[in-house]
Amino acid sequence: MHSVDASSLTRKSFRVGPSLLGTFLTFAFLLAVGYPSSAAPLSAIKVHALPAFARKYGLPCSSCHLAWPMLSPFGQAFKDNGYQLGNDRDAPIYQSPAYWPVTFRITPIWHRENETNAGVDSATAPGGQTEASLTTHGFDWSGLDFHTGGTLAKNVSFYVLPSSDNTGAFHFETVMARLDNLAGTTWLNVKLGKFELDNLLSEKRILTLTNVAGVYTNYHYQPLTEVASPGAIPFVFGIGDNQDGLEVMGHSKDDRTRYSVALLSSNDGTPGLPTCRCYATFLTASQAFQVGSLGLQRIGAFDYIGEWPTYYQFTQGGNGVAGTGIGNKSYYRAGLIGQFFIKKYDLTAMYFHSSDNAYLGTGTPANQPLPVGAQKPVWNGGLFESHYTFSPQFILIQRVELVRMSQQAFQIGGGPVYVPGSDEVPSASFGNENVYAIAGRYYPFISSRAGFAFHGEYAFSHQSGASPVTGRNLDFSSLLAGFDFAF
Amino acid sequence: MRKINISKLFVVIAILLATPLLGSAQDESHIGKVTGNEGRGRQFYFRYCWGCHGFRGNGDGENAPYLNILPRNFVAASFKCRSTPTGTLPTDEDLFNSIRRGFVNTNMPSWITLTDQNRADLIAFIKSFSPRWKTEKAGTPINVPAETPLTVQSIQHGQQLFQKLECWKCHGQEGRGDGPSASTLTDSNDQPIRPYNFAAGSRFKCGTTNHDLYKIFMTGLDGTPMPSFADVIKPEEAWDLVHYLRTLQIRHNSPELALWLTTKEGAAIVSAQRVSGTPTGSGVNQ
Amino acid sequence: MTLKHVFLAALATLAAVTLTAAGPGSGTITGKITYDGTPAKQKPIDMSKEPSCASQHPTPITTETVVTGPGNTLENVVVYISAGAPDEAAPSAPVNFDQKGCQYVPHMLAFQTNQELKISNDDQTSHNIHPLAKINQEWNKSQPPGTPPIIAKYDKAEMIHVKCNIHPWMSGTFAVLKNSHYSVSDKDGNFKLPNLPPGKYTITAWHEPDQEMTQDVEISGSETKTVSFVFKLKPY
Repeated sequence: MHSVDASSLTRKSFRVGPSLLGTFLTFAFLLAVGYPSSAAPLSAIKVHALPAFARKYGLPCSSCHLAWPMLSPFGQAFKDNGYQLGNDRDAPIYQSPAYWPVTFRITPIWHRENETNAGVDSATAPGGQTEASLTTHGFDWSGLDFHTGGTLAKNVSFYVLPSSDNTGAFHFETVMARLDNLAGTTWLNVKLGKFELDNLLSEKRILTLTNVAGVYTNYHYQPLTEVASPGAIPFVFGIGDNQDGLEVMGHSKDDRTRYSVALLSSNDGTPGLPTCRCYATFLTASQAFQVGSLGLQRIGAFDYIGEWPTYYQFTQGGNGVAGTGIGNKSYYRAGLIGQFFIKKYDLTAMYFHSSDNAYLGTGTPANQPLPVGAQKPVWNGGLFESHYTFSPQFILIQRVELVRMSQQAFQIGGGPVYVPGSDEVPSASFGNENVYAIAGRYYPFISSRAGFAFHGEYAFSHQSGASPVTGRNLDFSSLLAGFDFAF
Repeated sequence: MRKINISKLFVVIAILLATPLLGSAQDESHIGKVTGNEGRGRQFYFRYCWGCHGFRGNGDGENAPYLNILPRNFVAASFKCRSTPTGTLPTDEDLFNSIRRGFVNTNMPSWITLTDQNRADLIAFIKSFSPRWKTEKAGTPINVPAETPLTVQSIQHGQQLFQKLECWKCHGQEGRGDGPSASTLTDSNDQPIRPYNFAAGSRFKCGTTNHDLYKIFMTGLDGTPMPSFADVIKPEEAWDLVHYLRTLQIRHNSPELALWLTTKEGAAIVSAQRVSGTPTGSGVNQ
Repeated sequence: MTLKHVFLAALATLAAVTLTAAGPGSGTITGKITYDGTPAKQKPIDMSKEPSCASQHPTPITTETVVTGPGNTLENVVVYISAGAPDEAAPSAPVNFDQKGCQYVPHMLAFQTNQELKISNDDQTSHNIHPLAKINQEWNKSQPPGTPPIIAKYDKAEMIHVKCNIHPWMSGTFAVLKNSHYSVSDKDGNFKLPNLPPGKYTITAWHEPDQEMTQDVEISGSETKTVSFVFKLKPY
């Protein structure tokens, strides 16, 4: 039971339902009115950029990062080699004994959040609830990350990331060790622990920080109908989340060809016993090639296939016994990615195709009958992110994300508003989502010791039929400016 | 007819106008079919390289004080890994390979992940730091004849050469880089420098293959105490030395070591050289 | 002492300039190199690691960074015309540089740009000749015993420190000069620049590792002028 509750509190996936989403995004307001348990404000900024590595090797940030925290191909190869450059200096014995590989990162900011058509209490409206445009703004800060990582010996690497939200509540975002270059080949590396999936577009290295665009929507999207009914285990999952498991990955020496195969406990990175006795696999493969003076182009594909329990085999005092979830139902996320460089301009395009089993899609325990007309939800997504890197010190970022339901879990009918627990959705486009973001980051200096950036960003999202009272579109916008630094 | 002439004239004018622009201060590099551009190389230099090699390319970057093998000074234009004789400029391809390979015993990593074009551009820019590239041509690569067959006699002859040429004065009798002169060595910046320790590694400063090893001692590593032996070793004898030097790499499975271990003499020597345990993991599977 | 020297030198120069009679022929500049101060103490060289060389030196030898004679004279100073004389083509005769008893002979070798330099190894041990050129291209060659001489040339004027990495005590200098008017001071500190046509010259005297003095001299006929240099030496 604890694991289930804890997981719903700590995960960053906020596309659970419109009201919860609102809670996340207007955290300051809602903290004041008593929703502290559900808010994980800005803790989504779990990005990885390690001046500790820069200090170890003396390379400027710009070597490994196109613009930190986003990696350059050189930085990706460094990571794939087990945080090793491949020369004689990789083992810790070559470091000054005083060197300890630790980096912290935090981001003081000012931000303004707006939610249109938010559900608010009303004494006069029928049902006691009406919709209003909520706007909040003020000074704030992100969560704090302590990154430690490096080598324990030549070809044995590790990474530990204690991470807090901005209330100071810590959890472990990453805990892993890795055996690198097994059998003397770059094609075999084994990692064990909790780690970021080998996503070809890393969410932990995202260049946008707002509540709206601080994560990739497509990486966390779940249909709005996935609200657990009584007796069912809530299904929450995102491929952007760090997962617990074992990963085998390999790459060519020049990192042009990469693959990874991960076996994961299907518990979305939650500590403690997994919710169920079930596993998931995540596969990626990609190939890069050079096109004249344009730069390195990469294409790849990924597939995540997993199972999730729908109810508990045993309960104690009405709560499910941890690890005894059964009635496993399957889900998958698959996609293609292309990363294209045209000199200083680069574009990442991703296509997603996803589906959940009908039990998961409708939040129904597998020991109960499905609602009439229930079927598996299917949706497609697109992500287009482009950057213009004027210099190692200045980058502009733009992103468009689209999610389109191609098959709803329930039949279409009923009123204009989706009511959790009913077996109808208002329209075929119910839950479709668009997210737009633009941002700029300026790094006033580049060094091999610390990182500092001015960050400015505006993002808004738009979800069809998701407003709680009228069933209109639910829009969020977020404006953010601040200092992002790491040492 | 007239029209053609006029259009031809335009072409000629256009070329004349463009020539000074094309041929302006921009240096180029040529590696195979790839042509590097100085302007683009400058961008990459100030992304990847300046931290050690410095804004002026003279090796005084902000990280240089922390390095015990100093970054290359591109203004001096003296390079270790060349296919050309000692005292000559390296070819573009030599520099290209150096960037691609990195230097295993220094802080210089392998930039294999950059594209060929990136590296060619970087070389065009690096060459702009020294006027030497404007006044001198790169040396002519030395001729490396086909490798002679690997035999026990060849290894034994290499062993004699190792003694006769007094390689051991610096590299030590077991090739551990601990010869009598080793502790006194300095490079051309008056920085202490250690001779290569054959026993610890499989890779050399300038590559991994027998061909690379041949070039190292036949061209010398300019800027270091390692001289060129081109005038004193005959090419066919040089391969014998290569074969013997490989047997000193007692942690690297080479055909030379395997053959050497089949002889009574070789097996005795190697087992005496082998010491157990490299707790740092260094030198293993490099 | 110093003042007296300088005064005498200046007087000599002044006298030479004022007394010069115009006329054809060629002049000569001679002089003496002396020092003021305390020369660095030369350290004994331990050649025990190289017995074949050590046996050639019944009395242990010392380093040669400063070699002095009686009367504060200074050896191994190269004196040359640094301005006023045209660049000259190299003579065809080569200059010799020997490695003998693990020492460079001579310690200071002056020659012209593009002049052939012949480096020989008379020892029973391998040397590597490593001239640390900065303006010319640096090179580094091995020379085991019994191998033919290394032939080299330098095309730019430069003072080049030469060392052998195998025998770290070995140290010498190549003075690569643009014309034939040069001289290296002998053990009495004497130098002589003959055959100078009339003209105004700048004379430079250079001592390792980087000490340099200059004087201007005018030659107007077949005369001999005396120029002296006094180097200030420090014991470290």
